[in-house]
Amino acid sequence: MTFTGTVGAMCMFPLRTIIWFCVHLNIHPNVLTLIGVIINGLAAWYLGVGQFFTAGCLMILANIFDFIDGKVAESTALASSFGGFWDSVMDRFSDMFLLIGLIYLYAERGRVDYALITSLTLMFSMMTSYTRARAESIIKKCKVGFMERPERIVLLMIGAFTNRMSAVLWVILVLSVVTVLDRIYYTWRELRADGRQVIP
Amino acid sequence: MTFGRFISIPALVVQHALFWTFERATWQYDVMVIAILAFVWCTPPDWLGDPMAKGQGLIGWVLALLQ
Repeated sequence: MTFTGTVGAMCMFPLRTIIWFCVHLNIHPNVLTLIGVIINGLAAWYLGVGQFFTAGCLMILANIFDFIDGKVAESTALASSFGGFWDSVMDRFSDMFLLIGLIYLYAERGRVDYALITSLTLMFSMMTSYTRARAESIIKKCKVGFMERPERIVLLMIGAFTNRMSAVLWVILVLSVVTVLDRIYYTWRELRADGRQVIP
Repeated sequence: MTFGRFISIPALVVQHALFWTFERATWQYDVMVIAILAFVWCTPPDWLGDPMAKGQGLIGWVLALLQ
């Protein structure tokens, strides 16, 4: 088993207990998604005031809700197309909350350079999701590129807990740009391989 | 191993790192994660002009030790 696989398996153990509780308390998965976004909004506030440790703790809590909503939906047979849509939309709000919190922090400290880097990170984080969603409306699958949402969130947590947010922002920005370019290229290549028109 | 093949290995690594098609929990994913964490934790915050970080990172610590 790989290192990251082992970490994932270790995290699954407590999560199964939480999922079991949510299923037995009959909590609707869409409510869990919404709770996750609200907690992420709170985490963004703490990022904005520079309290990274508290923000990191809240991000962990929020992402537990974010992770379990799908599992609870499967366990309670409440999985629906709207649930998937709701989850995706709320994920974008969560991402934006966290990065806007950081933009506020750097702007308030007069660091225009990092406010700009965080803004670009926000832009390319959104474009990472958009390119995949748009690509998958014309090709079967577009799952290329490293920097997806779980990676972004884990990196933001690492940045918050170890106080290395600037390095984390650089990593997310550079790899998000690469991911967006990967997805554009992959979609173009797949369409061309299908014999579909790529240039009018 | 020929010189051409020796040169092509790093090129292949860069190509796969840039055009990422590997799943999570593969050894390639582990290598990428380790590289990212090394950058985040070892790079001295001063080099990046980090307004929030404290401490100097592993590289900064080693450089300070050498001086």
